[in-house]
Parts: sequence; C-alpha cells; structure tokens
Amino acid sequence: MLNLLFFGRLGDLASGIDKAIPYHIDLATPLAIRNKLAEQHPLLTKELSEPQVLVSVNKMIVKWDHPLFDGDEVAFLPPVTGG
Amino acid sequence: MPLNDDDFMRYSRHLLMGDIGEAGQEKLTQAKVLIVGLGGLGCPVALYLAAAGVGHIDLCDPDRVDKTNLQRQVLYRTEDCGELKVACAKDRLQALNSGITVNALAREVDVEILAGPPLTESYSAVIDCTDNVAARQLINTACYQQKTPLISAAAVGWEGQIVAFDFRHYRRLCFSCIIDYKSTEPMMNCANSGVVGPVLGVMGSLQSTAVMRMLLGFFEQHGELQRYDGKRGQWLTMQCAVDPRCPICGPTDS
Repeated sequence: MLNLLFFGRLGDLASGIDKAIPYHIDLATPLAIRNKLAEQHPLLTKELSEPQVLVSVNKMIVKWDHPLFDGDEVAFLPPVTGG
Repeated sequence: MPLNDDDFMRYSRHLLMGDIGEAGQEKLTQAKVLIVGLGGLGCPVALYLAAAGVGHIDLCDPDRVDKTNLQRQVLYRTEDCGELKVACAKDRLQALNSGITVNALAREVDVEILAGPPLTESYSAVIDCTDNVAARQLINTACYQQKTPLISAAAVGWEGQIVAFDFRHYRRLCFSCIIDYKSTEPMMNCANSGVVGPVLGVMGSLQSTAVMRMLLGFFEQHGELQRYDGKRGQWLTMQCAVDPRCPICGPTDS
C-alpha cells in the first residue's frame, strides 16, 4: 500500500480521496500519483501542479520522479511563501 | 562587553538557566542580526529578539504601515498608518529595550545590506521574514556565500513553514535545493488569499527560538523543514535532500 497525506489546504480538496491506495508499478512516482488523480480530481490536481508544491516520501522532501516502494508514505505540501 | 547591573535584572530569567547563563547572555548581547521583512513574521521576531537582548538588530523593509496590516503585524498601531514600518518598529523596540542598537533600513533588501553592518565581517544570523520567493533566493545566496546562519519562515492562510540553515558548519543543502531557483511565485499569497495572525505568531516565535539556538550554539537541524497546519493543529517535520545540481551550493564546474 501507499499512504497518501494531503497537507494543509490540500486536505480540503482531498476529502473524498482514499488515502491508502494499493502499490502498483504504474503508480511508482509522486508524479504518477498526481497524473492518476487528474482523471477524477481536476481541482486537486490543479493545486498539485502549482509551482513550489513540495512532495515528501517517508518524511524526506524529494523530487516528483522519486521512485516509490510498497509501504511508503507520500505527503503533498502546498506552497507557502507569504510573510 | 560584560553585563551591567541593569542587564542582570532585565535578563535574570535567562541567567537562571544553566544552558544560557551569563556566558550565553553575552553571546546574545554581542550578536548582530538582520531581519528582512517587518510584516507578520518580522514583528514577533523583532519583539522577541529585542526583548532577549540581541545586541544589534537591523530592520530591512521598504513598506509603510497600512490599515490591512494591523490584523496581524503586532508592532504597529492605528496611528502608524502611512509611516515607514522600520521607523515605527525601531521606536517600539527601543522603548522595549534601550540597551540594544536598532537600525532602520527603509529599502528593498540587496547584496549590500546582506553583506553585514559596516566594520563587521557579516551578520551573526539573517532572519528571512519576506513575502516572496525572489527575495528568499537572494537572501539564501548571500547567506551561503558569507557562511551566515539563515532562518527562513513563511505563512499563508492557516499554514506556516520554517527551515533553517547553519552555513557556518554545513556547505551542502540550502534553500535553493528545496525551492527551485527558477521557480515562479505561487498564485496564493497573503494579499490575495489572507492569513491568520496567530499562525504568523507561531512561526515567528519558532524563528526567534531558532535564532537564539544558532547564537547560543545549540542548533543542529540544518535543512530540517517544518510545516504547521493551524486549521487542523497538525505538524509535519521533514528532512530536505541536497540537490546535486543546485546552482548555489552544488559543485562548481571548475
């Protein structure tokens, strides 16, 4: 399984999404997960495609093409730049 | 400069602590810091560092106080509207603690400011309280080059972020490893999407704590990124990875 976490305001857009999804070779990167979500959740996918959205895998910030393995926790973090 | 009688009273709650004490207070007194941005983050940061006795604080911000700032920028009063933020902030900080030096720099941050106060090598720490990515990248680059500790925070809506870099001791991993140097500004900012005042207080307090840890020599979390979701009361702590192609801290061609 892959455990998905949509942090902060992304959580508001991801309320209907299953957060535990079966691991599959076609979903082996955070980018692949985002592309998969685009089919049914265009609004969330639009937010995930904003510049500076961060992805972490098992509490490590990674690039969108980072390889995923069964059991990984994948967190999506919206941009925060104000002050 | 040794502490005087007034200092012993004023900072007594630091002096009581075994891991601060007189030696630690003298480190704070001798420190020179730069706060870039005197908005929602910069206000609590400046207040706490001035109260703590950080001896030299430079404040950099070109903006004037606007009525829409008063919901969260806790240094300013209604009658300050139209005045320079750094001038108002300097007055409040000196009223709080006249034993420290506070300088008002009413202009956009640039490499000249980031190079440090006159007649010194560089700042003891730079605190990034700005509201845009371009300034954050400029500050990161200067701090990396000068080996100056950088404490960077941000907030929007109910959310906050903090990440700090001790460039005195670590030469890999910087802000540009996390946020692409060429990245454009995100759509959401405080001006078009709003921000909750106390969230800025939480993040600003964390920033000031990180500054004190840097100055006192306790800081070990180089490049650790923390996110706060004030709406749900959730925290997330993550480690960032070195970008081997980072234009700032990556290997040079030569």
